[in-house]
Amino acid sequence: MLDLVFGGVLCFISTYVGITVKQYYDKRYYYLRDFREFAIALEDNLTYAKDNIATVADKYLQNNKGGFAKCLEEYSEEIKHGNKNDETTDGIFNAKYLKKGERNFIREFFRTLGTLDYDSQLSRIKLTLKESEHLLEKALKDSKTTGVTFSKLGLLIGIALMIILA
Amino acid sequence: MEKPLSKLLPIRIYNEIAAVCSEDKLTEIRLRKDKPLSYACEGIYRILPDDITVSTDDIAYVLACATKSSLYAYNSSILQGYVTYEGGIRIGLSGEGVTKGDTLTAIKNINSLCIRIPHYVEIRDRRIDALIENFDNTLIVSRPGMGKTTLLRYMIKRLSDKGNNMLVLDERGELSGASQGEYSINLGNCTDIVTGIPKITAYSSQVRSMRPDIIASDEIFGEKEVDCIADCVRCGVKVLASLHTTSTQLLKKDKTYDRLLNFMRYVLIIKGIGDISAIVDLRGENA
Repeated sequence: MLDLVFGGVLCFISTYVGITVKQYYDKRYYYLRDFREFAIALEDNLTYAKDNIATVADKYLQNNKGGFAKCLEEYSEEIKHGNKNDETTDGIFNAKYLKKGERNFIREFFRTLGTLDYDSQLSRIKLTLKESEHLLEKALKDSKTTGVTFSKLGLLIGIALMIILA
Repeated sequence: MEKPLSKLLPIRIYNEIAAVCSEDKLTEIRLRKDKPLSYACEGIYRILPDDITVSTDDIAYVLACATKSSLYAYNSSILQGYVTYEGGIRIGLSGEGVTKGDTLTAIKNINSLCIRIPHYVEIRDRRIDALIENFDNTLIVSRPGMGKTTLLRYMIKRLSDKGNNMLVLDERGELSGASQGEYSINLGNCTDIVTGIPKITAYSSQVRSMRPDIIASDEIFGEKEVDCIADCVRCGVKVLASLHTTSTQLLKKDKTYDRLLNFMRYVLIIKGIGDISAIVDLRGENA
């Protein structure tokens, strides 16, 4: 009986680890997706209203939650308090579930955001959107393959352990 | 409430200036890259000691604060050489132009800033009171930095409080302290303010749509604006305006601006904030 319970616990742990790894890949995908959506919103706004960054961020945050939204909210607050600099920007956009290259890509974008004239800023955003498309495709693929594989593996290993111990 | 200037300037610069001049007397601050800071206190220019040198970071800090870290959003005003900040603070800037053919598309490597701080001043002068009571087309003249805008602000509010529909063509937001749709300076309950629109465009469109009794404009510049003023007067709208010059004699000799004397009634010559040197009644002169 004890073996069964112990097996059940191991199964739970293994499944949990598998799901956590999948969530890690999912979070990465959602973060990059939300970042890209914000960049699109910024591009649209620049073309017409030319609002300042904090205003665009506030509009975006009205309908969006998640990991990226939290970072953006913090970034917007720093701007409102006049504290925007490279150090604080890097500290804000430091999601652990992103790859190093992806983190640096996003940090670089937000470091230069608001420091360029109109034409240069628009060009920068368009370039970012183009590059982020590839990152997003890769993240989605990883989520659907590696992420799903880990979650299934976690479950299978858990069941196997239960059977072995039983 | 935090004062706009304390938010705009790097703290070390703000503290140095605050130690030598109170904010209500400060009219201008000049930041020039790698040069000592200079400022105008009650209209008199002074330079802070050499060990207070302006750095590129200081200039970048002021610009980031003024534009809320969104330089692109202020592109059109930057191309005209200024950015407006809260409280009506106007920041003139100079740097390296970027052109596409003959068109200026950006200004980069900004190396100088001229921060002008507006003040609403109650001007106690019976001559101004009399002018307000029986207002007619008026031109305020002086050298730059002598208080034309301050007097203009005061007269706009007084005329508005008397019930005149005032239309203020405030292209740079300096008269009204306009910033992001908010006006920090009260110009009266009967005042309509137009900001961000080139004055030449505003004269024709806004005069027709807003039906003002009096139009107010700061720093008339160029023949086209003189033509617009002539049209307003022809339409029966009175004009209150300011111009960089020092006397009516100089004005008469100027081929561009001498026409103003044909339809202005009064010329106010000032030599400092609230210090009116003379009020010339042109009809009295001509009589």
